[in-house]
Amino acid sequence: MTAIAGAVADGVLPGRVWLYSNYHCNLVCTYCLTESGPKVDRRELSADRMLEVAQQAAELGFTALGVTGGEPFLQPDMAETLARLGAILPTVGLTNGTLFTGRRLAAAEVLAGSDVALQISLDSADPDVNDEARGPDNFARVVAAIPALVERGVTVRIATTRELGDEADMSRLCELHRGLGVPDSDHVMRPVISRGRAVTTGMGVAAGMNDLPAELTITADGAFWSPFGATVHGGRLDTDLLLTRTTDPLRVPALTLLGLVEGRPAGADSTLNIR
Amino acid sequence: MSRVQLLDATTAPLTARRYYQNGDPGPLVGALATVPELLEVSMPFLAAVLGPSALDARTKEIVIVRTSALLRCGYCVDTHSVVALDTGLTIGEVHALRGEGAAVLADQRENALLGWVDAVSGGRGPVGDEVARRLGRYFAEHETVELTLLVGVTMMLNRFCTALDLPTSPEVVRRLAAAGLR
Ligand code: SF4
Repeated sequence: MTAIAGAVADGVLPGRVWLYSNYHCNLVCTYCLTESGPKVDRRELSADRMLEVAQQAAELGFTALGVTGGEPFLQPDMAETLARLGAILPTVGLTNGTLFTGRRLAAAEVLAGSDVALQISLDSADPDVNDEARGPDNFARVVAAIPALVERGVTVRIATTRELGDEADMSRLCELHRGLGVPDSDHVMRPVISRGRAVTTGMGVAAGMNDLPAELTITADGAFWSPFGATVHGGRLDTDLLLTRTTDPLRVPALTLLGLVEGRPAGADSTLNIR
Repeated sequence: MSRVQLLDATTAPLTARRYYQNGDPGPLVGALATVPELLEVSMPFLAAVLGPSALDARTKEIVIVRTSALLRCGYCVDTHSVVALDTGLTIGEVHALRGEGAAVLADQRENALLGWVDAVSGGRGPVGDEVARRLGRYFAEHETVELTLLVGVTMMLNRFCTALDLPTSPEVVRRLAAAGLR
């Protein structure tokens, strides 16, 4: 058993490895950690590179994958790539859910019955509240996409990112997602983190190394402590949660991460409930 | 203005943070911190080669200032002129090593050393036998090995700091001005 496999089995290291497929996005959300938008530096990982990382992750003893961005489905053949990643390790693919019409919706059918879940962002049961942060028509497009994906056999989770909770809205949101075919167990909530565009817009809570689970995160520019670490501010990639520039072999950043985790007090990542 | 972003305490990567615990570690760390896995290995290596060792500090600073002057590295010449003064070299000696004044190192041993440094850092191809024989009169073989590595590492730093245009720290500039070395 590798040192990584042992640490994952013992719960010392989270089992998931994240891949930033790209940093560009068709949306420009107010709290975006990566300052994503249509014209930003793409910082792409090719499908082949992601599959290589996944293979090495499995060999090292990691147990799950996540793909995030930017909007991963702007990359060609992302559904096919996710299906191939899911054949290596269980995978969650984050998406804003606005691109699942026509050809992309049909292509997503490859995920039916696979070990891949799509995690779609939806912040409020109130279209105006949701769209204020995520852009015009976002709510309508997302609530159309979710049942369309569910009907095609794709596992869908919902992620809600919000500042201090409005409980009444939250229960309406839960009713909504149940009605769209997504059970409570597939609804995750997280606070806005004050990084990226959220710093500029004055939103969110500060999160440092000790607030974030140590989930190895691979980008085109290096390896990070957490997917919440590989953020962009002022057009520059943040480096405060950078582990190494080397990502191949994956053992290099994985062992650096393990070394740091072993020096951290137990349970230190639980304060903000960021998962 | 440096050619690369120099990371500070707020932008320093996780494994680099310890270098910032006692304040600004300087532009060399600030630049290397952008590739933290290289910082991790290069700082202990540089400390072993440039820091206290079997060779006395005066000898080492003669090597570093002289090499840096021959390679025309403003950053290293500035920074190590101050270290050389702190090590006990005179202002005149520092001027001489920088090629700015008449040679004032009267000592035969140190002149043999300068011959070796000039041949290793300034030349191309083999180093002449006579230069080596002169050095061998005053320095043991293990010292020759260490001196030669010190010249080589200084040359590496010279090119790194010059190419990336690392800025001399304000404190060093102030010290140099006070000593009439800038
Ligand atoms: S938060 Fe997600 S959907 Fe919104 S701009 Fe950023 S990457 Fe795009």
